[in-house]
Amino acid sequence: MMQFWALIVDSFRESRDRKIFWVMLVLSVLVAAVMFCFSFEQGKVNVLFGMWVIETDYFTGITGIKTDVIAALVVDGIMDTALGGMGVLLSIIATASFFPTFLDRGAIDVVLCKPMPRWKLFLGRYVGGMVFMGVQATIFVVLTFLVVGLRWGVWLPGYLLAIPLVVLLFSYLYCISALVAVVTRSTVAAVLLTMLAWMAFTGVQSVDDLFTSKYPKWQENKLVYEGVHAARWIVPKTQDIIYLAKKWSRAANASVLVHADNDDDREMVDWATKVEIARREMNPLAIIGSSLLFEAAIVLAAMWKFSRRDY
Amino acid sequence: MVALTEMTNLAVDLIDVRKTYAKNIHALRGVNIQVGRGEIFGLLGPNGAGKTTLVKIMMTVVKPTRAMGTIMGRPIGHRGKLAKTGYLPENHRFPGYLTGLQLLDYYAALAKVPRAARRASAPKLLDQLGLSKWGETRIDKYSKGMMQRLGIAQALMNDPELIVLDEPTDGLDPVGRRDVRQLLLELRRAGKTVFLNSHLLSELEMVCDRVAILVDGLVARQGTLSELTEHTVEYRITFSGDAQPIRSKLAALRATVDGDLVVLSGHDPAKVNAVIDLLRGQGLLIESVQPHRFSLEDILVEAMGGTAPQPQSRERQRADKAS
Repeated sequence: MMQFWALIVDSFRESRDRKIFWVMLVLSVLVAAVMFCFSFEQGKVNVLFGMWVIETDYFTGITGIKTDVIAALVVDGIMDTALGGMGVLLSIIATASFFPTFLDRGAIDVVLCKPMPRWKLFLGRYVGGMVFMGVQATIFVVLTFLVVGLRWGVWLPGYLLAIPLVVLLFSYLYCISALVAVVTRSTVAAVLLTMLAWMAFTGVQSVDDLFTSKYPKWQENKLVYEGVHAARWIVPKTQDIIYLAKKWSRAANASVLVHADNDDDREMVDWATKVEIARREMNPLAIIGSSLLFEAAIVLAAMWKFSRRDY
Repeated sequence: MVALTEMTNLAVDLIDVRKTYAKNIHALRGVNIQVGRGEIFGLLGPNGAGKTTLVKIMMTVVKPTRAMGTIMGRPIGHRGKLAKTGYLPENHRFPGYLTGLQLLDYYAALAKVPRAARRASAPKLLDQLGLSKWGETRIDKYSKGMMQRLGIAQALMNDPELIVLDEPTDGLDPVGRRDVRQLLLELRRAGKTVFLNSHLLSELEMVCDRVAILVDGLVARQGTLSELTEHTVEYRITFSGDAQPIRSKLAALRATVDGDLVVLSGHDPAKVNAVIDLLRGQGLLIESVQPHRFSLEDILVEAMGGTAPQPQSRERQRADKAS
C-alpha cells in the first residue's frame, strides 16, 4: 500500500506541476464566479446583482419562471460541455504524457528496480493519472454545486454524483491513452488515438440513438441495426454516463421542458423524449459495468505490454 | 581479501546470461560473473559490449533470453531481493518537479522503506553527498554533478546490501569523483557489495577488488587486478652502445631489441639477469632496468583484440617528436 500511495502522491505532484492543471482550476473558479453573478426572477435575468436586468420570454414554455428548472438547465449544460466535454478533453491532453514520461529511458529504470511487481507499478501510475481528473472534477462540481445552492436556493445533492461519474467517463478514455502510450511511448499518439476512440464511441451511441428514436425504419436492416446495437454494448458508454449524471442530478429532462410548448421545436422535443425514454430503460449498472469491462480489458492489455517489454 | 574460490557466499553469481534482441542481435552470449559479498567489483568493456544490458538484467529492467544463477542468494529476477539492492542507472532522469528530499522519499517508499527510516536517512545521505543545502530545492535546478550525487543517494536510501552503480562518476568534477571513491570504500568497509560499471578505467583500478572485462557479449577476462596483470609484466632495459652483435643471443632469451631498449616479456628475474650479463659482456652501459606492469587499459585493449601500447626506444621517441 505504501508503494501504491507513493505512486499516487507522485502523480498528483506531477499534475500540480503542469500549467494546464492551474488553467483548469482558474476556469472552474471563473465559471462558478460567472454563475454567481446571475439570479432569476419572473421574466427577468439579473446580472451582477441587479446591475443589468435582461427581460426574456425564453422560458415561456414553462408556467412562470422556476429557478430549479434554470438550475437543472445549467447543470445539463455543464454536464454536456464543461465537465463531460471540455473538462474531460483537457484532462486527456494533460495526462497523455503521464505514461510516456514515466517510460522515458533513465526514468523507468529507477522505478522498475524496486521490489514491486510491474502490474502494480502500472496500476499505481494509472490510478495516479485519474487523480488529475478527480481533483479537477471535485473542485468544479463542488464550486458550482455551492453556487446553485447558495445563490439560486436550489440544492441538487444528486449533482455531486457527477464527480465519480465524470472520473469514470475519463477513465474509459484514459485507459486507451495509457495503452497507446505504453505501446508507442508517444504523447501525441496517445492524445490523437484517444480522441479518435472517443469520437468512435460517441458515434456508435449516436447512430444507435438514431435507430431507436429518429429513424426506426432503419431497423429493418437487421444486420446493421443489430451490429450497431451490439457495438454500443461493447464500447464504453460515454454519452450514457453523462445522461446518468444528469438524471441523478435531476437535470435530465430540463431542455425538453424548456422547449415543450414551442411548436417549432416539437420535432426536436419528440426525438429527445424518445432518446430519453430509451436511456431511462437502460440499467445504470449495465451502463457502468459494461463500460468498466471494456476498460478492464484495455488496462489488462496495457499492463501485459508494460510488464513484458524491456526498457 | 578472501579469494573468490574460497567464498561460499556470493553476492552475485551470474551463469550463462544471454540476451538476444529482435533482429537476432546478441547483446550477451553467455556471461558468467561471480562477485563475492563485501567486495567492489568493476565491469568494463568497450561501447556496445553489453555492460548496461547485463546491469539491467540484474536489476530486472531487461528480461534475459536465458539466465541462471543468483543475486543475493535468490534467482535472477527475484523482486523481493530488490528491497535490499540499490541501483543508479546510467543517464538517469529524475522528475524535475520534486525536491531532493521528496525524490529520496518517493524512491525509498517504492523500495518499501518505512516512513520513519526514510525521514531519518534522507537528510543524512544528502549531507554525506554534499547536498545538505539543496534538500528543499527542486531538482530541475540541480547541476549534472548534483543530480549524479542525488542519484547515488537514492541508491543508498534502502540501506542496500548490494549497490549497482552504472557510471557513477559521470558528470562529476575531480573532487566529486574523489568523494564517490571515498564513499565506495566506506561502503566496502561497511560490508556492502558494490557492482560498478564504469568506462573510467583509472577509477576502477583505484577502488575495485575484482574486475571483469566484457567484450562482444562475453567475459574476456575476470579476476583480481593482480591476477589479470600477473602475466602481463615486462622488463624494460635501456643501455648505451651497440647491441647488434648479440641480437641473436638476446632473441634466444625472448628479448627484443629496439635501438637502445631491450624488452623482456614475463616475470622471470633469472632471465633479466642473463640479459644484463649479455649486455655487460658486450661492454654496453646499463642505464636503467624497469619492471613494467600492464595497466587495466592495456589489458582491456588486449582483450578487445588490439595490442597494448609498445615501449619506444629513445631514438624513436626523438623521431616521433621531430615529426
